[in-house]
This record gives sequence, C-alpha cells and structure tokens, in this order.
Amino acid sequence: MSKTVNINVHHVTRVEGHGNIVVNANDGKIEKVEWQVPEAPRFFEAMVRGRHFDDIQIIVSRICGICSITHSLAATKAVEKALGVEVTEQADMLRQLMHYSEQLQSHVLHAGYLAAPDFFGAPSVVPLVAVAPDVVKTVIRAHRVANDWSELTAGRPTHPNTILPGGWSRVPTEKQLKELKTTLETTINDLVVIANAVLSVAGNIPNFTRDTEYVSLTHPDLYTFYHGDITSNDFAGKTVSVQDWQSVSNEFVVDQSTAKWAKWHRGSYAVGALARFNNNYDQLCDLAKGVAKMFSLEKGNCNPYMNTVAQIVECVQVVVAGIEIIDKLLTQGLQPLSKINVPVTAKAGKASGCVEAPRGILFHEYEFDNNGDCVAADICIPTNQNHANIQKDFEKLVPEIIDEDQDSIRLKMEMLVRSYDPCISCSTHMLDVQFV
Amino acid sequence: MKKPTIVLGLGNPLMSDEGIGIFLINRLTELSEQFPEVDFFDAGTGGITLLHLFEGRDRAIIIDCAYMDEEPGRIRRFTPDQVKSVKQLAHQSLHEQDIMKIIEMAKLMEQCPKEVILFGIQPKSLELGEGISSELEQNIDDYIKVICNEL
Repeated sequence: MSKTVNINVHHVTRVEGHGNIVVNANDGKIEKVEWQVPEAPRFFEAMVRGRHFDDIQIIVSRICGICSITHSLAATKAVEKALGVEVTEQADMLRQLMHYSEQLQSHVLHAGYLAAPDFFGAPSVVPLVAVAPDVVKTVIRAHRVANDWSELTAGRPTHPNTILPGGWSRVPTEKQLKELKTTLETTINDLVVIANAVLSVAGNIPNFTRDTEYVSLTHPDLYTFYHGDITSNDFAGKTVSVQDWQSVSNEFVVDQSTAKWAKWHRGSYAVGALARFNNNYDQLCDLAKGVAKMFSLEKGNCNPYMNTVAQIVECVQVVVAGIEIIDKLLTQGLQPLSKINVPVTAKAGKASGCVEAPRGILFHEYEFDNNGDCVAADICIPTNQNHANIQKDFEKLVPEIIDEDQDSIRLKMEMLVRSYDPCISCSTHMLDVQFV
Repeated sequence: MKKPTIVLGLGNPLMSDEGIGIFLINRLTELSEQFPEVDFFDAGTGGITLLHLFEGRDRAIIIDCAYMDEEPGRIRRFTPDQVKSVKQLAHQSLHEQDIMKIIEMAKLMEQCPKEVILFGIQPKSLELGEGISSELEQNIDDYIKVICNEL
C-alpha cells in the first residue's frame, strides 16, 4: 500500500473555537493523527468571583444554551453543600424532574439533528427534512415536549430562573404535573418511532471498538443523573465522593489543545450516555433496556459511535423516571412553597456539586467567604474530560480505516467527534450575514 | 393563548455585546403593557428552541448581535430574504447555531411565521464579561425606539 492522506479540518471561526482534525499519512505511513482544540480560554470561573452565593446559578446557566439546567443544578448543589443546606425531599424531586427534561431535550436534539443526518447520509438536518420528513417531525415533536417540560419546571426552556439555593422561587401546580404526565406517556411512543428510524439505518454506524474507561455518577437504587458518587468500569464496585472529584479528573495540559484534558486509571477516559449506560445498566428501567436490546447494545460496549444509541435509551429512561417522580409527588400531595424551601444564610465554606450533563459528568466547585461572596470557583465540563479519549480513539481508528478513501476517513472521524456530543464552545449564537 | 407577535432577544450576556439581544429584551419587557398583542422572550442561546417559539405566531421579531460589516453599534432591520448567512458551522456540536438556518428549517416544516424581521446590531466587543460596550450602550434608547416603531 502506498497511500498519501492529508486531512486538515479547521474550524476556527471568529469566536467559536472548534476542534480541528489533522491526519497526515505518506506512502501508507501515518505520521500524524491529532484532535486539536484551539479554543480560547474561558473565564466563567473568574466571572463568578466576588458574586453573592444566590447569583451563581443564574450566571452559570448562561455558560451554555443546551446544558443550562445542568450548570444551574451543579452550581446550586455546590453552593448548598458549602453553606451546609439540606433541601427538602420535594425540592429535590422537583430538581430531578427538571433535570430529566434537559436530558431529553439535549439527547433528542443530538440524535435527531446532529447524528441522524450522518446515519441517513444527509449533510445536515435541513436537507434531512426532504429525505425523512416524518422522522424529523417526530423528533421536533419530542423536542417540543422536552422544551415544554423544561419551561414548566425551569420557568423557560433554557436558562432556568426558578431554582434558588434552598429550593425554588416557583413550582408547577398539581394540575400542570398531571398534564405533563399525560404528555410524557404519549411521548414514549414517539421515542420508539425515533428508535426504530435510527435502527433502520443502524448499519451505517461504524463498527469500531476500543477498550475504554468510562466514568459517571452511580447510585445503587437509581439510574442516576443527579445523586450518587463517582465510579468507573476500572473501579467497579467502588466509588469516589463528589467532593474528591479532582482525584478523578486529574486535569492536565497538552500542546495540541488549550482545553484541559483528563485521565484517571488510564491515559484517558470517556463520559456521557454510553459511560452511564455501561456503569449503571442494572438500574435502567425495563422499557429502556428493551430499546438497548433493539440495537444489541449491551453493558460493556466500547464503540464510541454507540453513544448516540445510548442517548436514545436514556430518552426512554428519563421519560419513565419523570413519570415516576410525578406520581410520587401527586401521591404525597404537592407542598406549598413555604414548606418546600429551607432558609439559607451566608457563611464561609467550600464544596463541590456534581450532576450528569447530557454529555457527561460535570463538576462545579465554589468557595465563599463569611458574607457568602464567592472567592474561588472551578468548573470541569464533560467535553474536556472526553478530549484525551477522542485522541486515543483517533489513534486506533485511523490505522484501521487508512485504506478507505480520504473523504470516508474524514467523515468517520467527524462522526466520531459528533458521537461524543461535544460542547466545544457554546457561548455565542450570533448572526454572521451579508446583504444580498 | 399565544399572542400573534413574538419578540425574541438572543445572545449571551456573559460575552459583552453578544448579550445585546438579552439586554434589549429585558428593557422591552418593561414596556410590555403598551403592547398587549406581543410576547417578549429572552431566548438566550437555546438555538433550535426557536422552532417551537415560532409556532402559531403571525410575526416574529428577532434581536441579535450580528456581523454585518458595519460600524460597531449600527442597527439594521432586515428580513431573511435580504441576506445570506456566511456563518461557518463545524457541524461538530449542538452548541453552534445559525439562526438563518433555523428560519429556513421552520419554513420547510411549515411552522414559520408569515413575517420574520431581524434587527441585527453590529458588536464592538465579544470579550468574556458582563456589560455592553459604550458604542452600543449610547444607542440603547434609539434601538428601543426603532424596535417599538416596528411594533
């Protein structure tokens, strides 16, 4: 074989940093395979310094338009822990309910808008409307349900304004919860339709595996996105407290990326839906297990492209779990806000909060002075934890497909990046237009 | 009941002028009593959520920071057919969005309001940090006036 490959996918737009994919092979010999993330450093941690504890969740919710609920919740958990606040059971249940809505919102978007075009062979979702209009309509319907669910609990579809340290500023009524339950019950059918549509093109999901360490939260009684401790398949049966998350992420700096990378027991690890699926399969509901079975997705799967399928499994999981929480709240009878909330007073303290973002485990840590003003912050996002793993995947993938034509190699590498559902830069959505 | 017109402020208030849409929607919301047929909405950076916000409306007005090759602070009113998007998308992440593509998709899905009007404001600074640059701040009253005239 004497083959020359030069792939150089550069996406440095004005503000949004994106990952670059670089492959050089000469005469069949691979010289360079790199996943480069030339993103400008982000200063959210500096931005919250000096701010009062009850401003933090509002500010960090603007870090990202896709995972805004997740950032708010991670921050609120950390703030409450630092100030020694224990929230009530109903405040906690309502937060989990809100958090599920974001998993559904994000997963449906990722599977339907970003990954599905690959599987259907369309360049993006806009042309996919012509190729598979019914699938796109079903995806949009499911996404709308998730949006309405977020709006009901978070106050608006993105950037929640209803949660506060100690509880909530506003909660849904029992009537609204009942209506939501009815909607969620019908959404399960739409999710099965989406699963079947993806299954019909599942042959286009590349068959690639690499033995990988998967890191996620875990909880004995729950397929968890919110509670529990940290675990990995290299640490099976054992856990690390969320307060010790730095001993898991071990962030480090590499030349090829301005984003920090992470490693635990190996040179890299993966986070996200597939990590949760692999670590917490036993806690999945039967319906979600059934969807996994449709795709022959089993615990221990090490094909990163299957992360999208794991997301579809989780869509079913969060809807079922959401209905269970609503049932429990309605059985208990929803308490008035005065009983849902607990008082919070300023004091010095430092703590971490952790939740699962749709794209993987997320850590926030804050330190406050006696006045409750923030003196230090540290945020470790899931995508940074995946960068080293994407690099390791590339290093195994490229030699396996080097005989394919250059476009095919590039597509498979791009699909691999997309399968991790990255949040490479989510700060800006501005227009860039020319008048015609 | 959905009101026939929705005004959407877009952007990120943690990135200086990129948050101008949010800044203005907050100001406009204070004037909402004058406009009983209009919903004002802080859409942040929710991207495809716009599809759902469009639904069932006759008219959508979008306020966003925009590169238009103009002087910083200049506001321009346009409709989708008057511009072409030159935004480069990497298609790697859900976190990049081109509003012009979402409008195109809404049209394909037949859920686009009959009338879509955009107000683009040329930024001076997109540095990380809160607050609008003085080039934009000095024009705030004019921006509000221009948008209210449209309503």
